Amino acid sequence: MSFTLLSGSGFWNPLLWLALLVFFALIGYIIYSRGNPSYKPNTDQVMPFLSGNVEPSKEKVQVKAGDIYWGFVEALKGYYKVLTAIHTGDMRDYILWYLGVGSIILFLLVGGA
Amino acid sequence: MGKLDNFKRSLWVFHASGGSCNACDIEIVAALTPRYDVERFGIKLVGSPRHADVLLVTGAIPRDFADKLRRVYEQMPEPKAVVVVGNCGTSGGVFYDSYNIAGPIDEIIPVDVYVPGCPPRPEAIIDAVVKAWLKVEKLEKKLEGKEE
Repeated sequence: MSFTLLSGSGFWNPLLWLALLVFFALIGYIIYSRGNPSYKPNTDQVMPFLSGNVEPSKEKVQVKAGDIYWGFVEALKGYYKVLTAIHTGDMRDYILWYLGVGSIILFLLVGGA
Repeated sequence: MGKLDNFKRSLWVFHASGGSCNACDIEIVAALTPRYDVERFGIKLVGSPRHADVLLVTGAIPRDFADKLRRVYEQMPEPKAVVVVGNCGTSGGVFYDSYNIAGPIDEIIPVDVYVPGCPPRPEAIIDAVVKAWLKVEKLEKKLEGKEE
């Protein structure tokens, strides 16, 4: 039984793939075993060097994608405050808004006729 | 003084200055100038303790800096050695017993070599670094299980 799958652009053999995986895993292990035996995980030794300061939490130092809009959000915070409050994430609220606004528009367009 | 068994790698040094008047720091820099040129022996200053074998500390250590110095020491990989350069770090110097000084450096982190002087000459600093190098080599052999 042949494990080789031939195609127009090459071949695929899972046994060869497995052999290569084991080979590279072995190379990885050899490199790992030659590492510094005194390495201490979960200590300051593995923390980034920030001139001796404690690493601040990610929330304090990370620039989020939303921070790009900080200027807009800050300038229009009155508008965003209302808009954020009505974005409840509840589909029923959105349907109610849809029906409410839809009926007002309908009333304005055909209500007077 | 013993002799270096091998020069299989360069000795990288990190300099931490806490509350120093800069005189010791200038003498450390002088050791790198063409007159002394310690880099020809592979001794060079590095920008991170994560890369260093030896920690050079100058100045009397203010209380606010003590935990930072401790963290810098912890961040150095083993084997490592510490050299205190100058009177201030060795004993407190003119700041001895001052209210805002955390004490001599050996009360904060373990010290291997002391270089007294105000400031010490570059020759004395180089001599101390070589002594620290011997200590690092000794520790390295211990880590590799080749202790004599």
